[in-house]
Amino acid sequence: MILALAAILAIQDSSRISEAQTVLSQLVESYGVSGMEAPVRATVQQLLPSWVRTETDTAGNLWVRTGGGQGDGGGGGGPVVIVAHMDEIGFRVDTINADGTLGLRNRGGFILSLFEAKPALIHTDRGDIPGIFLPRDTGLTRRIPPPLRVSVGATSRSGAESLGVKVGQTITMPKQYVRLAGTRATGRSFDDRMGCAALILALRRLDRTKLRHPVIFIFSVREEIGLEGAEAAAHQLGTSTRRVHAIDTFVSADSPLELPNFAVARIGAGAVARALDNSSITPPAYVDSLAQIARARGVALQIGTTNGGNDGSTFTQFGVVDVAMGWPLRYSHSPAEVVDLKDLLSLADLVRAVAEDW
Amino acid sequence: MNLLLIVLALQNPESLSVRFAGMTAITGYEQAMTDSLLTLLPGSSRDRTGNVTLTLGRGAPKRLVYCALDEIGYVVGNITDDGYLLLRRVGGGARLYALFDQQLEGQRVTLFGRRGAVPGVVAVRSTHLTRGRPTRDEPPFTVDNAYVDVGASSRDEVLALGISILTPVSLTKRPHRYGDRGGLLAAPNAGRRAACAALASAALSRPRVRGTVVVAFTVQSLYADTAGLKTVLNLQGPFAENRQVSVPSKFPDTAVETVGLRDVDALMADVVKWIGGSQ
Repeated sequence: MILALAAILAIQDSSRISEAQTVLSQLVESYGVSGMEAPVRATVQQLLPSWVRTETDTAGNLWVRTGGGQGDGGGGGGPVVIVAHMDEIGFRVDTINADGTLGLRNRGGFILSLFEAKPALIHTDRGDIPGIFLPRDTGLTRRIPPPLRVSVGATSRSGAESLGVKVGQTITMPKQYVRLAGTRATGRSFDDRMGCAALILALRRLDRTKLRHPVIFIFSVREEIGLEGAEAAAHQLGTSTRRVHAIDTFVSADSPLELPNFAVARIGAGAVARALDNSSITPPAYVDSLAQIARARGVALQIGTTNGGNDGSTFTQFGVVDVAMGWPLRYSHSPAEVVDLKDLLSLADLVRAVAEDW
Repeated sequence: MNLLLIVLALQNPESLSVRFAGMTAITGYEQAMTDSLLTLLPGSSRDRTGNVTLTLGRGAPKRLVYCALDEIGYVVGNITDDGYLLLRRVGGGARLYALFDQQLEGQRVTLFGRRGAVPGVVAVRSTHLTRGRPTRDEPPFTVDNAYVDVGASSRDEVLALGISILTPVSLTKRPHRYGDRGGLLAAPNAGRRAACAALASAALSRPRVRGTVVVAFTVQSLYADTAGLKTVLNLQGPFAENRQVSVPSKFPDTAVETVGLRDVDALMADVVKWIGGSQ
């Protein structure tokens, strides 16, 4: 009997892992450098359950309103906001040089050498233009290169323009979701497509009759360049917001290259309360409440402190408490980020729990 | 399009260049690529060192035309208790590009284990945890800092994937065409692979042959005693003439080494002429 139960649970887990992977892989393989999130927004809309009605605000954030006032059993009062960002790090075409190469501006923070001498994609409305991030030509043998340039194979400005290149377009490198051993996976831009996936998976299972407050799920824009999308949403909602949950990466020191003095949340061991980062501090009583909710639902939760900012911090100026939550990520902002799908499931369960129970 | 035309299209120098550039043949561990060559080239054979050769024509003079197909790469040198793999570089030596190893950092790699190809990544410090680091003065990343993460948590999990000491490891190959009408091909070792593609295409084109021509795809050109070419010379020579084929490339030794596919077509035509006895 116990064995049969274990087998049933394993099958359920397996189908949930499979669903999580289907959602996550589509999000990860969509491109959306800060300010150009439209492809990711479209993917999110395709993956949301059919009952959801979305709104896109003037900043580009995608809103999903549930609960009070929605006619589905929720109570009234100010909303709980749950926010994950759609954008990813990359570059913007800043100049088209006379020799046909492209001068770049970083969008977000990352280690430049990881893009040097790698394939490039220039994203346009009419599809991607392939190119390469040029290797340095200075003979400099230190780790970090001079500012990067991209070649699309043209030898003049007009040649590059004739291929469709324009100033303002965004650039990344090709990316692919790839499953690793066990329940782990690698790709680029898990930050914060894991957060988006957690919101989508939570919405798919949300019991709207249980909501005690209005709950607004926001898929935000331009987080990587200064939390700009969330800032616009925070100003729109002002002091009415009951509580905010930023759902974003917990950058983990679970790696042989990191110092173990903080941020050591093991990948595969569940979601993480991002209780202290560079942008906000969750009051200890709220961390305790979150831990209690996780325990009551049997959801794996780690508690920790890491670096980086989160969208929820833009709400704190209005007296709103930011209870940020995430999942452990290895090798952040690199082309080889690593996650564990079990952590995505626990995060989705936790998002659902804070919406329904808190 | 009938099957023959499809087969011919797949064997033209451009498509063969892309196909070869997607293969991995770490010096001394070239077998997977030479297996493909044996299948591609009817009548070819492999010697004990691993070179693939094909003899065209008969009689005198006996000439050799060859390309080197191997590449600098890595093998698994050690496996840690918590499931990371450490690497040893194979090939290179003193002439190694100073940033060669750095190209691995934070990138996808493929491990060619006994149970097939296994994806992995090379660890890199998280950007968020390195605020203020690294600096422009920091020395390049080297193979000594390379920890390969295949998603395993223990040595036993790694072994279960078919990975062991000496498993070949390379950057994951994704040949990338760019430029006007996709006329440029970027990939690690694109120059070498394009040269071999032109040579294979020439051999497959049923060229007119003057005398005997041995077409060779040599191994171990980048290691210690260049045993591959020497083996061909000693087993099949003497030759009245030797010719190594090559394609001009930009950004050599990088992951975006670039060749012009027109140059590959031109090389193939030139090799066909050479086999027929024209200079």
